[in-house]
Amino acid sequence: MNPLRNLARHPVRTALALAGIAVTTAMLLDMVLLAGGIERSFAQLLLGRGYQVRVSPRGTLPFDTEATIPGARGIAATMRRDPAVEAVAPIVGSSIHARRGDSLVTLFGYGIDPAAQALYQVTAGADLAPGDSAGLLLSAPAARVLAAAIGDTVVLVSRLDPQMAVAGSSRTVVVRGVVRWLYDARDQASVGTLVPVMQELAAFRAEDRVSAFAVRVTGDADSAAARLRAALPSLEINSVGAMVLRFRERLTYFRQLSLILGTISLGVTVLLVGTLLTITVNERRGEIATLRAIGVARGTIVRAVMLEGGALTTLGGGLGVLLGLATAEQLDRILTSFPGLPAAISFFVPDARSLALAAAVLVITGIVAGAYPAWLAARAPIAETLRTEAT
Amino acid sequence: MLLPTTTLLLLTLAGVPVQAAPQAATPALPIALERRLAERLGARVGDTLAVGREAGAPEGRAVVTAIYEPAADPSVITRRDLHARFHLPDFTALLGAPDRVDRFGVGLAPGVPPDSAARELNRIAFGFQASPSAEIASESSQTFRVVSRFHDAIAIISVVASAIFLLCIMLLKVEERRRDAAVMRFTGIRRRTIFAALLLEAVLVAALGSAMGVGLALVAGAATNAYYQRFFDTTLIFSAVTPGILRFSVLLSLGLGLGAGALAAWRLVRTRPLVLWGRE
Repeated sequence: MNPLRNLARHPVRTALALAGIAVTTAMLLDMVLLAGGIERSFAQLLLGRGYQVRVSPRGTLPFDTEATIPGARGIAATMRRDPAVEAVAPIVGSSIHARRGDSLVTLFGYGIDPAAQALYQVTAGADLAPGDSAGLLLSAPAARVLAAAIGDTVVLVSRLDPQMAVAGSSRTVVVRGVVRWLYDARDQASVGTLVPVMQELAAFRAEDRVSAFAVRVTGDADSAAARLRAALPSLEINSVGAMVLRFRERLTYFRQLSLILGTISLGVTVLLVGTLLTITVNERRGEIATLRAIGVARGTIVRAVMLEGGALTTLGGGLGVLLGLATAEQLDRILTSFPGLPAAISFFVPDARSLALAAAVLVITGIVAGAYPAWLAARAPIAETLRTEAT
Repeated sequence: MLLPTTTLLLLTLAGVPVQAAPQAATPALPIALERRLAERLGARVGDTLAVGREAGAPEGRAVVTAIYEPAADPSVITRRDLHARFHLPDFTALLGAPDRVDRFGVGLAPGVPPDSAARELNRIAFGFQASPSAEIASESSQTFRVVSRFHDAIAIISVVASAIFLLCIMLLKVEERRRDAAVMRFTGIRRRTIFAALLLEAVLVAALGSAMGVGLALVAGAATNAYYQRFFDTTLIFSAVTPGILRFSVLLSLGLGLGAGALAAWRLVRTRPLVLWGRE
């Protein structure tokens, strides 16, 4: 009753069953990765620079709308008074333009405070120095569309007046460095200046408006967010954990899809393994009855049939994990082409816990699928079966 | 022609908080509320609301003149934004940006191609960009194209899994008939007849399974629509079991059933009867 030898007796059906289990395992794995992957990826992105709290206009998430927060300095000072607050990073976001020859290039402009920033990593050149109001940071796509390099001069303009054909605001800046903006979509051309410079370009200066704040705190971020909410009730203040929960609501579709398809995959695996083992057991009724007749215990027969199910599932599952990781990469490539999605976001994030969960569920499924055939094998009447087989 | 500035614009209320307000002497702006927003606020036609740019800082009053059901829009369904409509001058004044708009809709004279009109406008454009509606529609539908590609990829995996499952089951189903086939061979029934009988059985099983699958798909589709329409409070269709999909699925399962049945039956009739009976 060697499970592997039994499987090898019927190479065609075993191969088909393994292929079926491999594909359903791949589907199951992909759905497990999809169910939690984007949330993990989103949380990693938000915590990338160590800022655990986000502040945005009431009723919005950061950069979800064009709404802004007035009186930024006063709000930042209020937040800094909380003993748990380590750093407050004001962020301005606005659509601006840059001159390139006779034409204008549309860019996304960030206003940042280099002493406390949660938005970028410098990849070449230097960061802006505090007070460097003539400095500019470029993303690689912005450097490409502007044909600008470190040390080059760029003229930023904004508030274009179509009737007078003049720019309401203009600023000449020098490229200090090339950065990777963490929340940018692929090929998004973005630039960054100090907050006051971008406020001026976006006409936010008079009311000292910013788009959002990122706040770094010590200790429990949820408690700190609750205290800040109490101090500033007109703002939306969320810890990264709370934002991930709100983000989850928008991803209901993907979570439910992964649950449904994962369940169907498991169902198909149970049917496949169960049917195969049932027919195998029926074919071997004589052999099983003979074993019982010579004294082999029922438990041994049951264990052997269930082990066969486990072996089938383990082999097929092993192939399925490889197939699943390959298909997850392809599916991720499709979903990350959503317009406007930050390039750092992934939908399918492999992690040890997901892989272990999928493997455990699968092996248990295989063993459970073998339960009915094993029961059939154990309860077969010995004498009647032997008589039937002999005729 | 340009759409008149009094055209009602659909604008998100994010950043324009609305709350119930006591009566005051200043004239109230007319406002139309989306049904869900009206329900959220408990507002009815004739009620007066306080409106403003910042939360907790009302800057004016608005009287509800209409409650409307917005057109179902799949592109914003997961955002669950709530909308209200103001007359354009009222809204720009409320935002503190009079005579400033986000976009214009331009109606062209009959026979003027949108592409060339947009090109001409862009030639003289400063601070704006003109795009044909078809181009905007194409860009807006990019999200759905991505979702559609994802569904296609998932469908391919599902079809492969189903096909293998079906092949496996049909093979097992026919192999289960080894002894019957042996008896038929012993009694002199021709191989061709046995092959046809096994094939017919495979086709019947595949047809019955297909019919059950169609029924299951229709029930699952109806359940999906009922659940998500309730979940998102919308009339959008989430699952559409089209005749094309049904045709493809049924033909695929019948084809696979037939193929697998034929393969298994062929293997069976080529095997000697005593081997089938288990005596060799």
